[in-house]
Amino acid sequence: MTDLRAAPSNASRTSDRAAVPRALRSAAPRQSRSGRKMRRAGWLMVAPSIAHIGLWTAIPVIATFALSLTDYNVFSAPRWIGLENYVEIWGDPTFRKATWNTVVYTFWTVPVSMAIAVVIAVALNQKLKLQNWYRAAFFLPQVTATVAIAMVWLWIYNPQQGLLNAALAVVGIPGQAWLADPDWALWGVILVGVWQGIGIKMLIYIAALQNIDESLYEAASIDGASAVRKFFSITLPMLKPATFFVFVISIIGAFQVFDQVYVLTDGGPANSTTMMTYEVYRSAFQNFRMGMASAQSVLLFAFLLVVTLVSRRATRSDAE
Amino acid sequence: MSTRTTRGKTAAMSIAAALALTLTACASDSQGATTTTGGGEVSGEVALLTPIYEGTEGQRLLEDELLPQFYEKYPDVKVTVDYTTYNKLNEKLTTSVASGLIPDVMMMGVGWVEGFAERGVLADLSERGITPESLEGDYSDEIVRAGMWDGDVYAVPIMLDTRFGVARMDLLREAGYDAPPTSWDELLEMSEALTIRAADGTLERTGFDILSLDPRQMFETMLFSAGGDLFTEDLSAPAFNSEAGVDALQFVVDLVHESKVEDIGFSSANADVNPLISGRAAMAITHNSLWTQTEEAAPELLDQLEPFVIQGEAPGMFFGGTLATMAKSSKNPAAAQALLEFLASPGPALAANEQRGNVPALTELLDSDYVKGNRLVQFAMENLDSAKREGGPSQWLEIRAEIKPAVEAALLRQKTPQEALDDLAATAKTAMDR
Repeated sequence: MTDLRAAPSNASRTSDRAAVPRALRSAAPRQSRSGRKMRRAGWLMVAPSIAHIGLWTAIPVIATFALSLTDYNVFSAPRWIGLENYVEIWGDPTFRKATWNTVVYTFWTVPVSMAIAVVIAVALNQKLKLQNWYRAAFFLPQVTATVAIAMVWLWIYNPQQGLLNAALAVVGIPGQAWLADPDWALWGVILVGVWQGIGIKMLIYIAALQNIDESLYEAASIDGASAVRKFFSITLPMLKPATFFVFVISIIGAFQVFDQVYVLTDGGPANSTTMMTYEVYRSAFQNFRMGMASAQSVLLFAFLLVVTLVSRRATRSDAE
Repeated sequence: MSTRTTRGKTAAMSIAAALALTLTACASDSQGATTTTGGGEVSGEVALLTPIYEGTEGQRLLEDELLPQFYEKYPDVKVTVDYTTYNKLNEKLTTSVASGLIPDVMMMGVGWVEGFAERGVLADLSERGITPESLEGDYSDEIVRAGMWDGDVYAVPIMLDTRFGVARMDLLREAGYDAPPTSWDELLEMSEALTIRAADGTLERTGFDILSLDPRQMFETMLFSAGGDLFTEDLSAPAFNSEAGVDALQFVVDLVHESKVEDIGFSSANADVNPLISGRAAMAITHNSLWTQTEEAAPELLDQLEPFVIQGEAPGMFFGGTLATMAKSSKNPAAAQALLEFLASPGPALAANEQRGNVPALTELLDSDYVKGNRLVQFAMENLDSAKREGGPSQWLEIRAEIKPAVEAALLRQKTPQEALDDLAATAKTAMDR
């Protein structure tokens, strides 16, 4: 890699050549040949990755953009319709509802699960008995299939035999039809999202916590700082880079929420829990409108791009 | 030299003759000449995509009992089975069409055939000897029509899923009724009388459960009962937002909000136990498989289950079902047709229906022991003439997905029944005109 970066440009190579003493010139072509070989080897090494990204990412992305401008139903060839799909999406109340639901879901799941994850990470970074067991327990939802998790939550939310209503009944609070009531259904999905998202965030925070210099805490202790003061004045500021990373991946993950909705509510009741990804799925696989699904995917991509760029800008200014 | 030339000519003629014979054989195959004769003439590998035969029991039935019978008749055919569920069937079909790997034989639901036939995915079975006339004697007219598009047959029915009213007679008798309701007025009166709430207002038993069924199917049953139809006769426009449709939806909305017969969330389509079995409902619109569920969960209740047609302006009974189709692009059409005909034939069809507790599509199976021993299936078969199906236009699958949220919006009082159905009709019309 160093050699590739150090390889001189054609212009600089000509001027260098004039400056090189005649006795040494005979060595230059050999060096150049070796540089070419190195470059070739480098390209060969990255070729599988380039082919993989090209085949499985670049081409589908380009195809999605192209198909979003067509009427394509899988059965017949795509028909060019320009921006008609986008115009239809603009006037589609269900997609507007899905977009709003996705924003609400993201707004609540990302910061809440981040806050819980950082607290748990700090707690599990202490010297506790069964520390690894606790870490594994909190991480388990992350590696469990979402469909299995959603099935368990379906039972928890069951209005008649569900755990949640039974627990509320113990303290005298009347139960709800959590997933059948449009006022509660989205909150039900959000709660599952928060719970499931804690594991990976906690893991990243624990890794980041282990990189904080212990001497900072020792110095603070000598100055008489309390544990709370140390948390807010040392831990949180030192976790900023990790926090931005967690923030970006969480937002991207939240915008892509699908499985929970698919299993828990099927987008209902009355579209109260439908999300952007769920509408993409419905357009593609229920309505056979691949062109429309592509246009919806492009909009989702645009949303994520904006959010990522904003986050990146924030990260950069923080680093500066 | 001349001997070599003669030998060469003879060899060339033999090859040409063999080639001609092979081509003739292929041609007769593709025209389906060998389809119903069976035997060793039919050969090749065929893929079967099926949303029925699900679970271990279903798989065992198909692979250990039915396919061995098929192989006995067609030893040169190999069947590979792709199991799925109705929830994922759309995805399977879409991806298979997109990839060009369409299964040779596909099972799909009532209302699905039209869209796939219009888009050229399915083989026209009329061209292969399966005509409406040939099916008429074996199936009722409405069932034959469920497999047709544009006057031709594209699918052969195997089983039906019917929805109608069922009453728990022990609970009805306790309340002083000795028969299920025979009109909407009686249904309303009895539903109210049979509903039980605790002192704090918590619903303990609904008089008439409408929430354990998919909202689309529940609405369609009530729509047919109100004398309405999903689409106009020429399938050019939606008809479910007619006066009959609005009346049907208003009736169920009023059951929930005015008569307080059932609370939203009291039951759902994915409830673990049907409320009729658990005693949490005295009457319900339900699926014919309730009988087999009761046989497994509470056989002592079987005698108490009384089916009834929800009688409004018309008898309200709805049927969906599973039909066998063949891919137009099948490379082994004769083998595919042989499999399709085998699966739809009386023995295998009866076994598949029995496994799922469903209603056989073949009229002759009305006399089978299974039907005679299953009161709800027998009732469904006896009343099939007054049952209506869903579907119609080729865009049905797109429209179908929009009905549930529309009905839910009305049930949750987010929209009036008229608004909900008008909005749905506008969406449906856009899809139909596309």
